[in-house]
Amino acid sequence: MSVGRGAGAGVSRIMPAALLATALISAVSGCGRDDAGTSAVLSLTETLGGADTVGYARAVDPRPFTFPLDHGPHPDFRNEWWYVTGNLADSSGRNVGFQLTLFRSSLAPAAPETKSAWATNQAWMGHFAVTDEQGGRFRSFQRFARGAVGLAGAEPDPLNVWVEDWSLRGDGPGVPWPLRLRAADGEVALDLVLDPGKPAVLQGDGGLSRKGPEPGNASYYYSFTRMPTRGQVVLEADTLQVVGASWLDREWSTSALPQGVDGWDWFALQLDNGWELMVYALRRADGSAHPLSDGVLVDPSGGRHPLAYGTDIVVLPTDTWTSPLDGSLYPSGWTVTLPGRRWSLEVQPVLENQELDLAFRYWEGAVAVSGTDGDRALGGRGYVELTGYAGSRPER
Amino acid sequence: MKLLRRASLRYHARHPAQLALSVLGVALGVAVVVAIDLAIQSSREAFKISAETVAGRATHTVVGGVGGLDDGLIRRLRLEVGVRAAAPVVEGVASSPTLPGMALRILGVDPFSEGPFRPFVVGGAAGLDVSSFITTSGGVVLSAPTAEEAGTALGDTLPLLVDGRMWRLPVVGLLEPSERLDRVGLRDLLLMDVSSAQEVLGRQGRLSRIDLRIPEDLQGGVLEESVRAALPAGARLEPAGTRTAALGGMIAAFDLNLTALSLLALVFGMFLIYNAMTFSVVQRRELLGSLRALGVTRREVVQGILAEAFAIGIMGAFGGVLLGVVLGRGLVRMVTRTINDLYFVVSVEGLSVPVDVLAKGAVLGLGATMLASLAPALEAASAPPRVAQIRSAVEDSARRAVPRAALAGGVLCSVGALLLAVPARSVGLSFAGLLPVMLGMALLTPLGTVGLVGLARPVLARGAGILGTMASRGVVTAMSRTAPAVAALVVAVSVTVGLGVMIQSFRSTLSRWLGGTLQADVYVSLPSVQASRAEGTLDPAVLASLTGHPEVDGWSTYRGVELDLPEGRFRLVALALDPRGEASFDFQSGGGSDAFLSFREEGAVLVSEPFAYRRGLEVGDSVTLPVARGGGRFPVAGIFYDYGSDQGVVMMSRRTFDHAFDDEGVTSLGLFLKAGSDPEAVVRELTARAPPGQTLVVRTNAALREGSLEVFDRTFQVTAVLRFLAFVVAFVGVLSALMALQLERARELGVLRANGLTPGQVWKLVTTQTGLMGVVAGILAAPMGLVLAAVMIYVVNKRSFGWTLRMEVGPSVILEALILATVGATLAGLYPAWRMSRTSPAQALRGE
Repeated sequence: MSVGRGAGAGVSRIMPAALLATALISAVSGCGRDDAGTSAVLSLTETLGGADTVGYARAVDPRPFTFPLDHGPHPDFRNEWWYVTGNLADSSGRNVGFQLTLFRSSLAPAAPETKSAWATNQAWMGHFAVTDEQGGRFRSFQRFARGAVGLAGAEPDPLNVWVEDWSLRGDGPGVPWPLRLRAADGEVALDLVLDPGKPAVLQGDGGLSRKGPEPGNASYYYSFTRMPTRGQVVLEADTLQVVGASWLDREWSTSALPQGVDGWDWFALQLDNGWELMVYALRRADGSAHPLSDGVLVDPSGGRHPLAYGTDIVVLPTDTWTSPLDGSLYPSGWTVTLPGRRWSLEVQPVLENQELDLAFRYWEGAVAVSGTDGDRALGGRGYVELTGYAGSRPER
Repeated sequence: MKLLRRASLRYHARHPAQLALSVLGVALGVAVVVAIDLAIQSSREAFKISAETVAGRATHTVVGGVGGLDDGLIRRLRLEVGVRAAAPVVEGVASSPTLPGMALRILGVDPFSEGPFRPFVVGGAAGLDVSSFITTSGGVVLSAPTAEEAGTALGDTLPLLVDGRMWRLPVVGLLEPSERLDRVGLRDLLLMDVSSAQEVLGRQGRLSRIDLRIPEDLQGGVLEESVRAALPAGARLEPAGTRTAALGGMIAAFDLNLTALSLLALVFGMFLIYNAMTFSVVQRRELLGSLRALGVTRREVVQGILAEAFAIGIMGAFGGVLLGVVLGRGLVRMVTRTINDLYFVVSVEGLSVPVDVLAKGAVLGLGATMLASLAPALEAASAPPRVAQIRSAVEDSARRAVPRAALAGGVLCSVGALLLAVPARSVGLSFAGLLPVMLGMALLTPLGTVGLVGLARPVLARGAGILGTMASRGVVTAMSRTAPAVAALVVAVSVTVGLGVMIQSFRSTLSRWLGGTLQADVYVSLPSVQASRAEGTLDPAVLASLTGHPEVDGWSTYRGVELDLPEGRFRLVALALDPRGEASFDFQSGGGSDAFLSFREEGAVLVSEPFAYRRGLEVGDSVTLPVARGGGRFPVAGIFYDYGSDQGVVMMSRRTFDHAFDDEGVTSLGLFLKAGSDPEAVVRELTARAPPGQTLVVRTNAALREGSLEVFDRTFQVTAVLRFLAFVVAFVGVLSALMALQLERARELGVLRANGLTPGQVWKLVTTQTGLMGVVAGILAAPMGLVLAAVMIYVVNKRSFGWTLRMEVGPSVILEALILATVGATLAGLYPAWRMSRTSPAQALRGE
């Protein structure tokens, strides 16, 4: 399969998109749990069935992005998300990682025609996770809601994206900057202010990120890779004043996963030298990397530098971690080398167990980076996402 | 002992009819008790399961007042108060032409909120296609067996009638009930998305309730308080199950009345046993005497007789339980139909037959048999160990017992009267008072019999000569046999008469009330599954079109809503009254022009008699309602008679209603026509004004009245059936008693035959005697029936349902009692008469 240059950049977040519609369908089932949240467990393969694309808008050609409008929703497309991860620390050096993801999914091309305010074709899911590095605790939560009667939704101006009381709002003077991110569940809460930092990085071909060779199987995709972040984190009895950096991925599409992909390892690293590195390997059944696996570097001024996976950048796992849920085996710890730049990085999870046991199971967690740029030290922080491992019992 | 047992077996083998009747008596009594119990239990269980199915695992529920809750409240609770598990529910009732006779419950839910609540919404391997569930307008999910019954399938449509509007709803999913509970609970359920449910029920923007899960810990307590604080006026938070319990409680009085009636059948059964056992003992006195002479002890005799009773009881109870299950199948439909008409929607798939109900019935039957046999057993033991005892001695003592029985009867009656006079509201107490009154009157019957027969003797002597005298004397001289038979007949007839008078009084009270209440010429409403609890509203355009008819001179509008308050459910009605409509109120207290002025202008309400009775309200008190605006306290300006609902009605003027609530609906319409108009013609024209797809129920005054009486008759079907069954048991008892009596006289008649009495004269003698007993019983039953009716009407009914009924007794009642008793007794005398007349004197005297 020949894939154009940059075609793959940004497949990374495809997983939730493909999952979402199906996840919503099954995830509402209680699975016999007695907690107040909704939960269900899906196997990844179950969710990969091709969803219908008829009636939806599709990403065929590159388009100009208009901000702040494009920060808002694109309901003609089947899937869309606002995906924020970040590493924060308080003045005493206590580290906190967080993930807040708001997924939108159209259940049908159009809403049913009734006068009821509940009538909608928009479904929403939220994932929220907090990693307390020193406390050694990882917590994750999810929400489902329909995009009606104010339970969940997105508005472009002023920017407001919410799933119940988890929200991303942009009503600041910088339209929409700074963004205000708020999420809470039980004894964990975030209230953060995010500045853009660098300009938006348009992924793929000027923001058109191809997912496969057929036209339309692509998404519109942009990222803010280093957003200065400040605010407050509540961890049970502790309220921390924190600062740090966040990463926002924005993507909307009516697209499907590439054939034959079982899962992927995705890295978003913010390095101390002002660069950001995104790299992902799409794993096939035999363990090899799919040709759409790719990487990209963002320089301190926001310039984009594509990396060819396997040659410009090499990722090798160094260790494994066994999920206590069912013995599924995950990679845990990697070496990432960029031979052309003489960068050699060690990526280590700040906690081994950052697995989200939600509507679908995956590992998404804060990582610490240490290594060298030639002979200079090069460190950093980041987030790693690992999918397709749940249920993979080690046979050997 | 062995000897005794053999003697006993031999005796019963020689009297199979006697034995069969005894067993039948127990069986019928047990059957009626079991059948009613099963019917009630089944409908209660079905209601409970379906309520639990719908309630799911909610711990609390937010309910609104009039019109339910606003859509926006769910957002407030989930986003602002922070209740994680809060699910919107829109409920309604519908029917489908493909499922005749079944009231379907629409349950509108939001699948994304359902996880913690109702597993069947989202669970199951097949899973629900949430996408099409949410995005198919009007999409409906129902249980697979029900879909099959309706002849529809996934992808097809289900025709659904809601408030007279016909929909064809796409079936977007089927629920496969995995266990019995699910099958029962899901049977009549139509699951829809909350948006579709609002659309179909015409309730855009409103929720029936919001289900919550609040943990039972300290935090939960805090959350509960925050929820309360966030609720708008008129809404309230209550623990889950409150409403179900309240609804279940609504039918408590109804249940109790049916159960009491069913126990009556058992009491008659006891009479029968008593008769049969007494007779068998009396007949075996000689035998028992011989046995005693042979060394059988008193104790052994008692044990022997009780063992016989036990065997009869076992056979009867077994047969009764079987018969009860069969009977229950028929009764359960009537019982649920009545519950549907009067209280709430419940659909019973089949009779559930819990073993404990059967066991209870069997034990009750057995216990009653043993109890009824105790006296005969003791009497048997008293037989002295002599070869023979002079029969006349028995009758002497029986005659001496007459005044003592009457005295005891008088005492019992007084005790019962005292109990009834206790100013409590307990329905159970009124039945507890009724029982001694009935027993007391039964004990008074021997005295009455002696008196009446004494009066009849000269008449009979003149009419039938020596035979007449013999017949009348025979009644009194064989008191030990005749008295129980007459008493049984009297009680049976009086119960029949009493219930008849009660139903008739009720019906005529209702009829008169309808005549006064229905003042308009033509009534318009929407068809409804629930006879008297319609909530669907007329479209304003339709309303305008109807009132715009050239023959219409004026109109009243009526808005009825069912309100569920912690203290019970009742109907709130908003009336925009044409002045002519004021005459439709018949006030128990209050009323008058002042009352109407404050009703119209000053926010006063008029409450129905049951409502006032249940809450102990009087004119001048006030009623508190969960209003959307204002204080919510409404002074009572009048208490009016109303027989439409035993839960009560509160009426306010439309103006008062609009001030307090956000609800513009009109449930029904009463139209006054211009003088000289033809109501039938107007009805036809108005019916034609209904928009396409909408059915209106347009009826003339007379038709509505008839329709209401039809519902009444339907609700009293069960009572009528019980009345009939009780009479059948009593009749069997009388038959057995009279038969025994006449058969026992075989020897006496043999002597008479030998002295020249012809078979025809035997016929005459026997039928005259039983006929006389019938007439006597009829005469005694009439006043007793009236007393019974009075107690049922003024005490039981009032306490059970809060209604004041006017007792109506026509001369026909007395006549009916006489005919019933005479015909019953004569019929019961036919077989013995036939047998006696056929027996040759030689055979009858062979024993000499």
